[in-house]
Amino acid sequence: MTHVHLDNVNVSIPIYDSHSLRLIRLPSLGKAGVGTDSATRDHGVIFIHALKNICLDLEEGDRVCLIGHNGAGKTTLLRIVAGIYPITTGAIKVAGKRFALLGGSIALNSDATGYENIRLIANLYDWPRDRYNDIVREIEQFTELGEYLSLPTRIYSAGMQARLAFALATEQNPDILLIDEGIGAGDAQFQKKSSERVQQFVTRARILLLASHSRDLCRSMCSKALVLSKGEGVFFGDVDQAFDVYASMS
Amino acid sequence: MSLRVRSSANNLWKSLSWAWLDTVCQYRRSRIGPLWETINVLVMLIGLTVVSSSVFGSSIFAIIGHAGIGIIVWSAIASLVFESPGTFVRNCGYVTNSMLSIDLYVGRAVFKTLITFSHHFVIFFVGVLFGLVPIGWVSLLAIPGIVLLFVNGFWVAMALGLICARFRDVEPFVRNIMQLAFFVTPVFWNYRQISVDRRYLVDGNPLFYFIEIIRKPLLGEVPPPSFYGAVLGVTVCGYALAYYVHRRMRRQLAFYL
Repeated sequence: MTHVHLDNVNVSIPIYDSHSLRLIRLPSLGKAGVGTDSATRDHGVIFIHALKNICLDLEEGDRVCLIGHNGAGKTTLLRIVAGIYPITTGAIKVAGKRFALLGGSIALNSDATGYENIRLIANLYDWPRDRYNDIVREIEQFTELGEYLSLPTRIYSAGMQARLAFALATEQNPDILLIDEGIGAGDAQFQKKSSERVQQFVTRARILLLASHSRDLCRSMCSKALVLSKGEGVFFGDVDQAFDVYASMS
Repeated sequence: MSLRVRSSANNLWKSLSWAWLDTVCQYRRSRIGPLWETINVLVMLIGLTVVSSSVFGSSIFAIIGHAGIGIIVWSAIASLVFESPGTFVRNCGYVTNSMLSIDLYVGRAVFKTLITFSHHFVIFFVGVLFGLVPIGWVSLLAIPGIVLLFVNGFWVAMALGLICARFRDVEPFVRNIMQLAFFVTPVFWNYRQISVDRRYLVDGNPLFYFIEIIRKPLLGEVPPPSFYGAVLGVTVCGYALAYYVHRRMRRQLAFYL
């Protein structure tokens, strides 16, 4: 059974800074606001308390958006569910194949051609070999890049690169999908086409965690929302209510 | 268990094809492509052989095989060590944003070096063609030597990759040591040329054994078993170190970058 359980999770992110040994003192973090709620110092290392006492239980079918100001801990929460960051205290249980779409999109290798990029991603993410040719054809049709797919992605326009990266990202089939800051690509006409693909992509996943500032996006994709403020969960429930809470905070 | 073995084998395959793509892309816009790799080492090899032959007063033809293979193997060792500190730093975007196994970045670094090494190795066959180095059944003994060298590449890339991601002062230190090691190790000079009371400098140098188990067979000699013993010892200790470092640092890796 696919699920995500976070029990009293705290995450402190260490900021490493070796100022002590340099002959010429470079601007260091020595005077950062340490000793406050959000940062402490321990053995010369500054810790940012990015998440505090987070409890979250997600079961199959849950579609949750994370709302909060910049630095509220949305991406950190996605990263701990993804297993990229370790938790400091508390307990975390995640069952299911995860895919995280953080930092905008899937990174393309700019010197490789479109086809080579497809092959690389297929290889890294274990796409089924027997369906590979079908998938490539599907991506060809969807991106409408034609013969450009045989050329290095370096020469693509930003929009073309985005189309390919988008197509590659939405080809994944995870149980748990983690998305940071929305998803989408290209010009107006392409946007309509891509929103259909996003819907399919999101529907295939059993659990969705989406960090976003867009009310419309959250409404269309999610059934619940978690509002974060300075690393703490301040509201969990209906999406519209969550946005009201969020609006009252600012 | 068998699942883990299968996934490791799968990761090896993935990182090999990734490294292959890296190499293809790197040379795509160059006319002679990876031949540059071969030429670079060839120039270095000829230059150092000439210098070495005049410094130590032997004929160029007498030492070109020894020095040449030494330099080819050394470039592999040096590039394994030089690439290692950046194993994860280079893949920062992947490490912090995706959930790919970190073994892939290790494999990517090691296989990149292996592919480059195979381009350098062409020079050996050129040497055979000109009758400068012998070839025979003993030459095949170089294969286990090469395998052992690259097997060690994995622990070096894992351990140094993690340590250098956390402690940024280690990389320049490692570069320093390797530069010194080039002169201290009998790469382009011969073990016999060092005075007896200083031989401990070579005997205690693990890199010497890594070179010899590849070089000796290619010059028609069988390496003494103790040389393999030394290399296997380093391999075991190295993997133990990498295991320890991995256990201590793996979870924190994304914080280091």
